[in-house]
Formats: sequence, structure tokens, C-alpha cells
Amino acid sequence: MRRKLIPLAAVVAAAVLVTIPGAFAGSARREAPGVTARSVTIGGTFPISGPASLYAPIAKGMQVYFSYINARRGPDRKRGVYGRQIVFKIYDDQYNPAQTVQLTRRLVEQDKVFALVGGLGTEPQTPVRPYLNQQKVPQLYVSTGATTWGADRKQYPWTIGWQPDYQSEGRAYGDFIRRTDPSAKVAVLFQNDDYGKDYLAGFKPAVGAGRIVAEVGYEVTAPSVTSQVAQLKASGADSFFVVGTPRGTIQALVTAYRLGWRPKLYVNSVSATDAFLTQATAAAGSREAVNGVVTTAYLKDPASPKYANDKTVATYKRLLAKYAPGADPNNGLYFYGMAKADTFVQTLYRAGRNPTRESLLNAAVNLKLKSPWLIPGTTIESSAKSPFPISTVKLTRYTNGAFTEFGGIIKTR
Amino acid sequence: MRSTPVRFGLFAVGAAVVALLPLFVSEFRAFELARVGIYVIALLGLSVLTGYAGQISLGHGAFMAVGAYTTAILTTRYGIRDLWTIPLAGLLTGLVGFLFGFPALRLVGAYLALATFALAVAVPSLAKYGRIEEYTGGGGGLLLNLPATPFGLPLSASDWLYYLCWGLAGLLFVAAWLLVRGRIGRALRAIRENELAAVSSGISLPAFKTFAFGVSAFYGGVAGSLYAITINYVNPDTFPVGLSILLLTGVVVGGLGSLAGVVFGALFIQYLPLYASDLLDWPLSRLGLKIDTSAPGAPAVVYGLILLAVLLLGSSGAAGSLARGTRALTNSLARRP
Repeated sequence: MRRKLIPLAAVVAAAVLVTIPGAFAGSARREAPGVTARSVTIGGTFPISGPASLYAPIAKGMQVYFSYINARRGPDRKRGVYGRQIVFKIYDDQYNPAQTVQLTRRLVEQDKVFALVGGLGTEPQTPVRPYLNQQKVPQLYVSTGATTWGADRKQYPWTIGWQPDYQSEGRAYGDFIRRTDPSAKVAVLFQNDDYGKDYLAGFKPAVGAGRIVAEVGYEVTAPSVTSQVAQLKASGADSFFVVGTPRGTIQALVTAYRLGWRPKLYVNSVSATDAFLTQATAAAGSREAVNGVVTTAYLKDPASPKYANDKTVATYKRLLAKYAPGADPNNGLYFYGMAKADTFVQTLYRAGRNPTRESLLNAAVNLKLKSPWLIPGTTIESSAKSPFPISTVKLTRYTNGAFTEFGGIIKTR
Repeated sequence: MRSTPVRFGLFAVGAAVVALLPLFVSEFRAFELARVGIYVIALLGLSVLTGYAGQISLGHGAFMAVGAYTTAILTTRYGIRDLWTIPLAGLLTGLVGFLFGFPALRLVGAYLALATFALAVAVPSLAKYGRIEEYTGGGGGLLLNLPATPFGLPLSASDWLYYLCWGLAGLLFVAAWLLVRGRIGRALRAIRENELAAVSSGISLPAFKTFAFGVSAFYGGVAGSLYAITINYVNPDTFPVGLSILLLTGVVVGGLGSLAGVVFGALFIQYLPLYASDLLDWPLSRLGLKIDTSAPGAPAVVYGLILLAVLLLGSSGAAGSLARGTRALTNSLARRP
């Protein structure tokens, strides 16, 4: 460690002397890794190529938003954040944890980033969490909803998630069914892994075990879910809760429709996006296959007519057209990326004029934001006690190709 | 032609470079180079099987997975120190490879390649299957302890990993060399050149082929074990089909039928995919072309182009070029009075 500190200190000292005119300013300043007078370097790993590359727009959305922040003048009349340009280094880990580990080390040890922001995927982010916590490098706003990112904060204090966690979301559906449809007979199809089980851990106690009449798992690698859906239909259930990743969910909805089963549909938010439900409609050849799907939302839907005149959605579309021409603005993942980048920018302001890794982390776990990217009424709030930045959601129903929010704001934590 | 003193000299120089390198590079480079050492081990095994015995394997990622899971399960479930699990992982994987050698006996050429490819596809997914999942952690995988320097050695964790991986690589290099230089190596090469001729000169195909599979898998298992230790995690995504193809690429680039070439092959498969886009950025920006080399798919295209160029330029791999160099050196030494 010592061997590396000396050159590092020399570089920092040189950088300070070069970039700050006047000996006075340079005398007492000690800047954090990745922070200079003119820039803040942050990084993240994402599946830009490979089997999970459909998530790549998240990284692009973040990049676009940082470009915008670097070009516009902020509340302090300076470009960037307190006059510092945000440099966002993205590496492609192809959703392979072995790659994530070496690329994260590259970001920390070679690129000397200030913090990691938005790293994608539960499995890829799992092995780097102990490393980043050992090095005391903030691992902020990981792009996964696994409950562990908030729940295990005691063990990993330098890590925090962003979106509503899967358990909370599961609880929201359970509560809704118990309240509005007490005599419901629920059939559950879940992806048989940590992801699917995370949802069920929230859903089951909330809905009340007596209401679940059938429950079947499927393997994410299985080519078809036909037999599972047939089995669930035979249970005589009138409600169908599908917890999966997009491919299996689309198959399940189409199969249920083809079998002539028309239950009330509940689909977790990961798979219930406009794009995936449109695919299911096309595969089934009828809107009936997806009409009435209930899911949760926390971000404004850029495809919804409800937000056609919304200022933030308009900004989003303008930025996307400017910095990522050709990108489809209806793909909510770009919106997700920009919203997350905005949370980081607000966090960086709150970390102070001379941010340190400690002050950044402190800002991230003590957030109170009214974000214009979120559905009106929902907020971004975190505390050491409840380190789940977004924990308010709204139910939304898909009818004839569009989502309509309904009901009040649900506090999930 | 083959001058042993020159080869010993080169090996000694190589060993010295490997031993001293951590003094001159950052901890991050040491960590990256540790993975090169791991690839060297895997490629040595593949070199014995494919380069010497002529049996194409597109499934070496599967052997690495078996070794990695052995280490992961033994350390997380039974609390065994990671260091001691390395030989166990090697032996268990060697046994698996040996057993796989029997059905493989019936297959040649492209059929064998496909059968081993099936192994690469199936084995990582097995970790998600039924009762096995209780041990492997399924898709969620197993999280190991962060690598740390044992026995109070005065080394950083990255330097320790470097010496561990390269120490074993050196040891296994010598072992492979001893194996292929004598009678066994001749038998394996005979099988590669002509099975019929090999059998008629008294070489037992079943014995040598299954042996080659066993040895090769042993190396793969050791490499997998080290892989799990350095990334402190295993799950099925850690061993994509691409890994097996990458390993075969490494052996071919290094030079089939050469042990020294695997070092070049290992450097190639570690660094080229990582820096492919940077490599292209430089000439493109010189030419004033604005092409987004970080666009999805661009690094893969660059990687493919460079791979093609390497294969066309040096048809016998890096080892071929090295052999030419060695020959020139030997000749010039011999000419001296």
C-alpha cells in the first residue's frame, strides 16, 4: 500500500499545484481520489454486450445526462457540479462477474475513480461489494432491486441501492389483493432463483397464505412454461401473479391466453414495461392477453399520454435526441438511467464544495429529494435506518396499450 | 536444431522476469497478471490435449467451472483454507476429465469438438439444478472471502495472488514439459499424426487418450480453483461458453504443440478483449475518423479482426515465431569460434 501512496501523493500534489493558480489555494487543499478542481471521475460496469445487453440503455441514459450537466450552467452559475465536469467511465462486463471484478479493480486502482455509480446486476455486483467496502469506495445506486443492497447495510456500509426493492414491490401487490379482493384465489408463477424468491418473501405474508391456491416455479433457462401455466390454471385460481424476467413472463401471459384462462393479472415491474407487454400482445395476437395487467411504477412513463406535456419528460426527450440520436425515447431504461444520474448529481451537490468519499456516502444515505423524474407524490429518501432511496410506488394498470396509474401512493417501507 | 541450453536459458530469463515483475508494476497490474498466470495453467492443460494429442476441446471452461466450484464449496461450506483446496480441485476435475475421456474415445474431429462444447454449455447450468443447487448456490452463486495474504507474508493481496498463480504456473509448466518430452509425449504426438499408425506401433489409444483428458482437466481444475479465489465468487455466469472458446483461441494463438507459446496465448486472451477498443481508438483518431469504438459490438469486431490478422501473419502461432528466433540465436552461438 505504501509503495503506491507515494507516487499517488506526488500526482495529487502536482495536480493541485498545476490546476490552482496562486500558492495560497494550493497550500491546505487535499482532494479525494478522482476529484480535481475541474473534474470528478466516477465509473460503473454494465452489460453493453452479451446476453444481458438489453440493459445497456441504462448506462447510455446516465452518460447522456452527465453530458447535459457538464454543458449547462448549474444553480451556482457554473458548468458541471461546482465547476467540476463529471467524467463517467463505463466498462462492459457482459454480465460476467469474473469481468466485473477485474474491471471494478481497474476503475478503483488504475482510473482512480471517486465512486462507483449505477453498477448493473445482482450477481455481477455481489463479488465487488466486499472489495469496495474494504477499500472504502462508495458503491452507489446499484442497478438491481435485490433487497440485500439495503438490508445488509450494517455489513456493507459503503453500498446503497436506488430503486424499490423486490420484497417491497411484492408486498405492494399482496396488500392490494388482500384489501381490494379478499376472496381472491391466487396462482403464482415465479422464476426459481434468488430474484423470484425475493419477491415472494414480500408477497406471501402480505397477501395472506390462505389466498394462494397454487404456486409453481420455473427455471430461467427453461425453454417453455406451458406445463406450469396449465397446472396453475387447473387450480381454479381467479388471479395470476407472474414474477419473472421478461422472456418467461411474456410466455406465461401468452400461454394463459391460449389456454383460455382469463384471470386478473399481476406482473412484477421488471417485465411489465410497455415494450415487453407489446411483445406479448403481438405473440398472442390479441390485446386480451395483457389487458388489465397490474404492476407498480415509480418513474414517470415517457410513453404515457399522461406525461406528454410534462416538463421533465420533455427535457428527457430533448436530451436523448441531442446526445444519443436514434435512441428510442419510449424505452424506459434510458429514462431510468437519466433519473438515476440526476439523483447522483443531487447527491454530489449535497456532498459539499470539496467532496470526500465520506461526505458523498453521507449524502447518499441521508437523502431527501423531490425528484421531478418520479411520479408526483413519490420521493427519494434514505436514512441509516432505512437505506432504501426509493420506497414509494404507485399501482398502474395496462389497458389497450397504455398504462394508467390508480390508487394512492404506497409506502413500502 | 533443438538446443537445450538455450531453452534452459530462456526459461531462466522468463522465470526471473516473472519473479521480479511485481516490483515494477502497480497492484492492479499484478492482479491482472495473476489472471494471465491462471490462463497459462489452463492453456498448458489444453495444449497437452489439443496441441500434443490432437484432441480438440471446446469445453475447457467446464473443467475450470468444476475446479472453481470445488474450491468455492469447500471454503464456504466446510471452512477449508482456499490454498489447500487447489490440489483437491485439480484432482477431482482430473477424475472428471478422465471419465469424460471414455465416451470421447468414440468421437473424432468435429464430433469430439461438439461433444466437448456440449460440456461447456451444460456444466455451468448444472449448478442451478435441483439438489445440486443447495451446494452451488444456484444462479445466485457463492461468495468467497476476499483474497488475503496468508502466513503473515510481507506481500499485498494482489502480489500474493500473482506469486501464487505464477508459482503454480511455473511448477505445472515444468511438469508438462517433463511429461511431453519423453515416451508419453511421443505417444501423444503419434496419436495426433495418425491413430492407425500409432495403434500398430503398440500405443494404446484408450489409455493415452483418457490419460490426456485427465491431465488436461487437472490443469483446468487448478486454473478454475485459482479463478474462484481471485474473483472471490462463482456462479454459472462466470463460466460462459465464450470462456471455452477463448481458451482454445489462446492455445492456437500461442502455437499448437508448444508449451512456451501458452504464455503468449494467455497474454493475448487476457489483454486483447479488455483493450480492443482502446487499440482501435488510437489509429482511428490519428486518421481523423470519428467512430465510436465503445459502441455495443465494436470491441468484439476489433477483437475478431486482430485475431484474424495474428492467425494469418504467424501461421504457427507465437511459438512458431519464437522457435525461429531461438534457432537463429542457437545458430549464431554455434558459429562462434
